[in-house]
Amino acid sequence: MNDTALSIDNVDKFYGPVDYGVHAVKRLSMEVKKGEIIALLGSSGCGKTSTLRMIAGFEPVSRGTISLGSRQVQTLPPVRRNVAMAFEGYSLYPPLTVRENIGFALKASKLSQAVVDEKVASIAKLLEIEDILGRYPSSISGGQQQRASLGRALIRDAALHLLDEPMGQLEPQLRAVLRGRIKHYIKERGLTAILVTHDQTEANALADRIAVMEGGVLQQFDTPKKIKERPANLFTGTFVGEPPMNVFEASVSGSGTGIRFGLKDGVHLDYHTSDFSHPVREALLKRQKVVLGVRPYAVRRSADGVTGRVAVNQWLGDQTHIAADFAGGTMVLVEHDRTSLEIGQPIGIRLEPSSLHVFDSESGNAISHGEELA
Amino acid sequence: MTTLQLKNIVKRYKSQTVLDDLSLEVADGERLVLFGPSGSGKTVLLRLIAGVIDPDEGRVLIGGEDMTAVDAEHRGVGMAFQNFALFPHMSAFDNIASALTSRKSSKEAIAGGVQKVAKLLKIDHVLSHHPKALSNGQKQRTALARALVGSPPLLLLDDPLRNVDAKLRFEMRLELPRLLAAQGATVIYVTQDYKEAMALGDRIAVMAEGRIRQIGTPAEIYNSPADIEIARLFGDPTINLLDVVPQRGPDGAFVELSGVRVRLPGFGAEIVGKECVLGLRPETIAFTEASTLGAVPVTVEAETPLNEKTVTLALTARGREILVSRPAGTPGPTAGPAHIAVNGRAAFLFDRASGQRIRPSEVTSKRNGEAA
Repeated sequence: MNDTALSIDNVDKFYGPVDYGVHAVKRLSMEVKKGEIIALLGSSGCGKTSTLRMIAGFEPVSRGTISLGSRQVQTLPPVRRNVAMAFEGYSLYPPLTVRENIGFALKASKLSQAVVDEKVASIAKLLEIEDILGRYPSSISGGQQQRASLGRALIRDAALHLLDEPMGQLEPQLRAVLRGRIKHYIKERGLTAILVTHDQTEANALADRIAVMEGGVLQQFDTPKKIKERPANLFTGTFVGEPPMNVFEASVSGSGTGIRFGLKDGVHLDYHTSDFSHPVREALLKRQKVVLGVRPYAVRRSADGVTGRVAVNQWLGDQTHIAADFAGGTMVLVEHDRTSLEIGQPIGIRLEPSSLHVFDSESGNAISHGEELA
Repeated sequence: MTTLQLKNIVKRYKSQTVLDDLSLEVADGERLVLFGPSGSGKTVLLRLIAGVIDPDEGRVLIGGEDMTAVDAEHRGVGMAFQNFALFPHMSAFDNIASALTSRKSSKEAIAGGVQKVAKLLKIDHVLSHHPKALSNGQKQRTALARALVGSPPLLLLDDPLRNVDAKLRFEMRLELPRLLAAQGATVIYVTQDYKEAMALGDRIAVMAEGRIRQIGTPAEIYNSPADIEIARLFGDPTINLLDVVPQRGPDGAFVELSGVRVRLPGFGAEIVGKECVLGLRPETIAFTEASTLGAVPVTVEAETPLNEKTVTLALTARGREILVSRPAGTPGPTAGPAHIAVNGRAAFLFDRASGQRIRPSEVTSKRNGEAA
């Protein structure tokens, strides 16, 4: 049995003449399995929306193929792709009420009106738009339109659901619960969904795998956990993660039993050779300069650590963000308890070898994560 | 540095009262955050302090002096806006200097002042650029620099990080306290982002419908919200709010979740039978073993990992939704049946009709009063 829902093979997108126009998506290949939720994550102009529009059929591909299941679709019009969509520019029908808009998606399904009504009521409840079902699109807010459009897409039983910034306009107080409900809904029905977002929180919360894009190039396509623990390069490492990963340029030198990273202001971090596997040691010692990365919640305070000075201590209710002046830069620590650290107070900072991400200072590609090679 | 006092400020637009008998005192060197949803009156209040608009009633005192009738440019106030409001035809340097030129400073003094603040804000390398050649972050720093350059004793910042991306917002959230401390100004800071409010405010004034609903330190607001709405505005994920009617037990009041009693320490007979809303912050709930005393059975609907925490949506036996949050990397269930431990001591209780918080201590004193 073929469990591939979508495969994109060597797809290029040029706006303007092929090979001469703006190269928006570059040699993109990826496979999505049935039942997966995938997030295309990146900042504006990274190629994520072009990719979504090519999958939907709103933009022709310049090169390469797109298949849904085993069927190549890149030349088919949108209506023949069996794809449900919720995105900007694919708006609600103004002459229909919200109820009719959502129910309209089931027109072709030959379900009885009673079943349609029940399905509409249930998705409306999930999205908390029950009270606006009788209203027309022009009389509801942008956030409500977004939810109605999402409802219209989710109610369908399509081969693929494409959702563009599905929760961008929701009030923040609703987001956490709605994310949970939508994820449960998609998983329970075994739907395959691709969402496009610039919001990494949304991508992390919903997606089984995240495709990080930048400059039209797929940087990494992996589970949120892998992206967090094993970022493929400096871009992914610093783009995904909140607060962002701490990064420091460092020199590398070795002695008989140790590896030393030299940072600015004469600060150095010393590790025992046994802290890293043999291949990592070799890879590190081949280089003179690297970039060290460490996630804010992996930074430990320890009396025998390297001294930093507290610059900021911000308690946010369920966590504390501490910024310390460290090695000519700033080291951010996240702790889950409230701390009584005073501004200007010295603290010992320890970077466990297992929490170190090392990147090549030229290419930005990851060399190692903890004691393992990247 | 200076002090600010607002006394019984009223501002009406046509028949609508946008500021309703508002009074506020800000101490010398204090950072006060005005926090609230759009339309709550924050920006009007800020403009009124700046002197751009006049109150219909009430007085504005800066440094103890009545400034109500004084023009904006003579109030000694610096201001930065969320939309940057830079002059498009002027370089970053000239934009920043524009705050000084009206004061007839010497050319050298102006250049020195601009350089100094630009360096502090890390834009000294783009001073010759026009706004359209600046990134959003640089524009926002330029606008801040213009507000800071004259070293005004009172600084008004109107949601300055609203239009910058998440990463830059975080960076600036760490940088601003240092900048502002170096400046030594008294600061009024408007934001709609509760994290920014907690991170930057010595105190936070929560505004709604032209009034200050609660004012206090971040800890007071978060740990002791005055009402449901304030509890809902602070915290991510949002606080769980469950309709409950507390019952009487052998050792005080309790509520039932999935048929299991959750004790509410500190609450007595007065809340028994009363229509209440139980507020449970997601981080005060933990997954636990079925054998734990008081463990509440739930069904896990979905796990939605955030970066530094994992959020789980669970359902009680009666289908009530509960969000549970825990530090990322700690174990927990991803689907199916599970149990949670609910800390009644960390729970809030609100009056369902008024939305006001019912404090355990108040109840105790009321009980004593009744006994007497």
